[in-house]
Amino acid sequence: MPVPSPDCENYLRRHLANPFLVLELAPKAGRSELERQGAKLLAMLAAGLAAAGTYATPLGPRERTAEMVREALAELRDPARRLVHEWWAHGLAGRIPTPRRRFPPPPE
Amino acid sequence: MGTMMHVGIDLGTTNSAMASFDGTTLAVVPNALGEMLTPSVVRVDARSTFLVGRRAFRFLETDPANTRGEFKRLMGTAERLGFEAAGKDFLPEELSAHVLGSLLADAEAALGYRPAAAVISTPALFELPQNHATMTAGRLAGLSEVTLIQEPIASAIAAGWRADAEGLWLVYDLGGGTLDVSLLETRDGWLRVVDHGGDNFLGGKDFDNVLTDWAAARLAEETGLPPLSRSNPGHRRALGKLKAACEQAKIDLSRLERTAVVCAEVFSDPAGHPVDADVPVTRQELEGLVSPLLERSLGVCRTLLERNRLSAEAVGRVVFVGGPTLMPALRERVGALFGGRVAEGIDPMTIVARGAALYAATVGLEARPPSQEEAIPTGMVLRVEHPAVTVDTEPFVVGRFLPAQGEEVPLSVQIARLDGGFTSDEAEVSAEGAFVVQVRLERHRQNRFRVSAFGRRRREVALRTPELAIVHGVSIADPPLARSIGVARSDDTVLTYFDKGTPLPARRMAIHRTVQRVPAGSLDDALAIPVVQGEFSRAHLNRLIGTLQIRGGRLKRDLPAGSRVEVTLQLDRSGQLHARADLPEVGESFEDVAHVLVPSASPEILEKELGTAQQRVAAAQRRGFAQANPALVRTMNGAADLLAEARAGLEAARGGDADAAARVHRLLLDLNGALDEAEAELDWPTLQSEADQEIETALYWVGAFGSPAEKQLCESALAAAAEARQHRDAAALDRQIRVLSSLRHAAFSRDPSSVFQVFDWYLGHAGEATDPRQAQALFEKGRKAADRGDETALREINRRLDDLFPGSAEDRQRSFGSGVR
Repeated sequence: MPVPSPDCENYLRRHLANPFLVLELAPKAGRSELERQGAKLLAMLAAGLAAAGTYATPLGPRERTAEMVREALAELRDPARRLVHEWWAHGLAGRIPTPRRRFPPPPE
Repeated sequence: MGTMMHVGIDLGTTNSAMASFDGTTLAVVPNALGEMLTPSVVRVDARSTFLVGRRAFRFLETDPANTRGEFKRLMGTAERLGFEAAGKDFLPEELSAHVLGSLLADAEAALGYRPAAAVISTPALFELPQNHATMTAGRLAGLSEVTLIQEPIASAIAAGWRADAEGLWLVYDLGGGTLDVSLLETRDGWLRVVDHGGDNFLGGKDFDNVLTDWAAARLAEETGLPPLSRSNPGHRRALGKLKAACEQAKIDLSRLERTAVVCAEVFSDPAGHPVDADVPVTRQELEGLVSPLLERSLGVCRTLLERNRLSAEAVGRVVFVGGPTLMPALRERVGALFGGRVAEGIDPMTIVARGAALYAATVGLEARPPSQEEAIPTGMVLRVEHPAVTVDTEPFVVGRFLPAQGEEVPLSVQIARLDGGFTSDEAEVSAEGAFVVQVRLERHRQNRFRVSAFGRRRREVALRTPELAIVHGVSIADPPLARSIGVARSDDTVLTYFDKGTPLPARRMAIHRTVQRVPAGSLDDALAIPVVQGEFSRAHLNRLIGTLQIRGGRLKRDLPAGSRVEVTLQLDRSGQLHARADLPEVGESFEDVAHVLVPSASPEILEKELGTAQQRVAAAQRRGFAQANPALVRTMNGAADLLAEARAGLEAARGGDADAAARVHRLLLDLNGALDEAEAELDWPTLQSEADQEIETALYWVGAFGSPAEKQLCESALAAAAEARQHRDAAALDRQIRVLSSLRHAAFSRDPSSVFQVFDWYLGHAGEATDPRQAQALFEKGRKAADRGDETALREINRRLDDLFPGSAEDRQRSFGSGVR
């Protein structure tokens, strides 16, 4: 029997919410970096800052919510789950657009 | 900005307590009698006057018809508790609201105002309906904002507040009615719940009950009268009196070697003469009586460790919570299991309330009600966001200016610590009026900061709320979900939305398809989306916590089978569940707070379920003998013990003990889970044969049409299946069968003739379609597409037909009548 499409869509949805993507962190990020970035994003979302409202994925920008940030933090605090997400994030790494530079480079 | 005040409440089964935290001092709030604990007891007299706490407790044994305790055990059920003299009855949360009201009045006396917001603790194993009831109790008591925290987390926060201990902790919380054992990990100052286990029906009261039964038997021996029995409603009052005396004896035996259960006029003999109790009891006797209960609690600890592949040596610290943990034998036996590594010097009776107050600080829950008298501050509105408590010594502060009309957004800001120890660089304010500044904290204390904003020519701009405070200390992760939550699908599988351990609040959307047609305007037709909680992959083994109904009466046009349904489940910090189903094809939305009542089974239903379980146990035992499987026979003997326990509970339930009914319900769920595992073991030969068949078919199709990657995956699955066979791991073998099946499907779909074969399959099973009319229409189209050899069109028709064949009717019925896949 054919594979039902809702499962495919649900599967894709989960992988585009990879915690490293949501937090905009590299898979090698340490624990304190993770916590600090999470707290920063939560504060920015609470203050309604536009920059925190989306994150980049290989299929274009996606909406980011406080729940997603909290869940991403919880996932990466668990060493076993983090390992799985690291594996996926490595696979996705080459396909994530480079984040915009916040400031122009200094004039030469 | 003034000092914030945070309030935490331990709403216990037997006693409740409240603590306050102002960022520096953590204190337990005494009640009007100067006690740290308030009994969770409510009395309603003939004039409908409420008495709460110690004054009500005094009537518990003498007037049980108008005095109620232990109602926390019934939270989330529809059980109404009656008060004879007043002729009224109340839900457990309504009675809990009175206990909370009493605590809040005590806080008003101590703090000078009645708290408007508080954190209330609930057992880790409380599920959504019970959490919902606790929230309701808080609101009924007048709290405008209530946040819940799981008790073990609260205890750990309180125990670790001044200790920078790294590693694993175990919180052993034995309350009046429940045992919670939680495994927590502290790393880099962050506290995380690794896992928890427990028994919702093992508590200090069970210790009292075994002592009461023993004392009743001794009393019967002495008097020659029949023993008092809990299954006899006529003995309730006498047992209540005896139980109170036993509780006192148990407490005395924590410091004495011997005492007596003393109670005047327990009951009257047939001649009407009062009978007194004076039964001597030694600590050794008590320890012998409670030994099986202690062993049961140690079993919970061991299971938790085994499940996490840990030894007791890995646990660095054990924290005791709850009055019953003061019993020397308990501390000794649990302590011995963990090599004596016990956190000492923390009052186990108030530790939860203290932790809850500290947690109130981490979530920034201000207890002080907004004052009407304070002068309205002037200046530009600044909204600042930052963690209230953090382990990070250099956290970020994010701010956003909200200028009134005519006000100009400042150009830069600077944040300085009030003790003068830190001043940030001047940070630019962005075009949207926001800034992000990193500040530095002094460790283990409250750090107060002032934000200065500057406009053109560096002129300072007045701000309405320029100060903020951040406490440096142990931080905790958001409260994790105790059990996974998902939607039951028509094929008896579960689509998990939130895994166990997901931090709250959480929100997730997933796509489903309907499996039946719902005619517009039909009052009889409804499509069920059952929401279940549990860890089983088969839906029917989990607990139904709510059902979202898509009713035909609300539809403006027919909803055909196979329609897309976008289901969103949202859980708040307290575990309240909101469910929404969007139907984009008909432009309708169905929203509901899932009805969150614990199934309150009547003794008749319980008996029926027990009968079914008994038959399953007997059948499994027979099959175990036939297959010469001694391990399984032993497991089934254990199941038979559970059955016997459930039968005994059923007797008490018939005597009007609603608590016993809930316990039987829980035992039945555990029993069914164990039976399911046993049946899986018995079905092992069938599973092996299925595996052989799947391997053969998969090898054919993947070999013929599979891609190189699929062939490689097939090899890995075959190796994993062989390993699963070697270890007799049914779940692992089942997983590999599924993997092979997926690979087979993928390869099969590459066979040019597959699309025609699939269509033939549907034609051959036309009678099983959920929407015959739609199926017939698709068959017509399919035949035409097949005649003209249009594979693309036929593939799409097959996809739509797939939605009409959602699994067997039995599966759907077992899966709580789910109407989605």
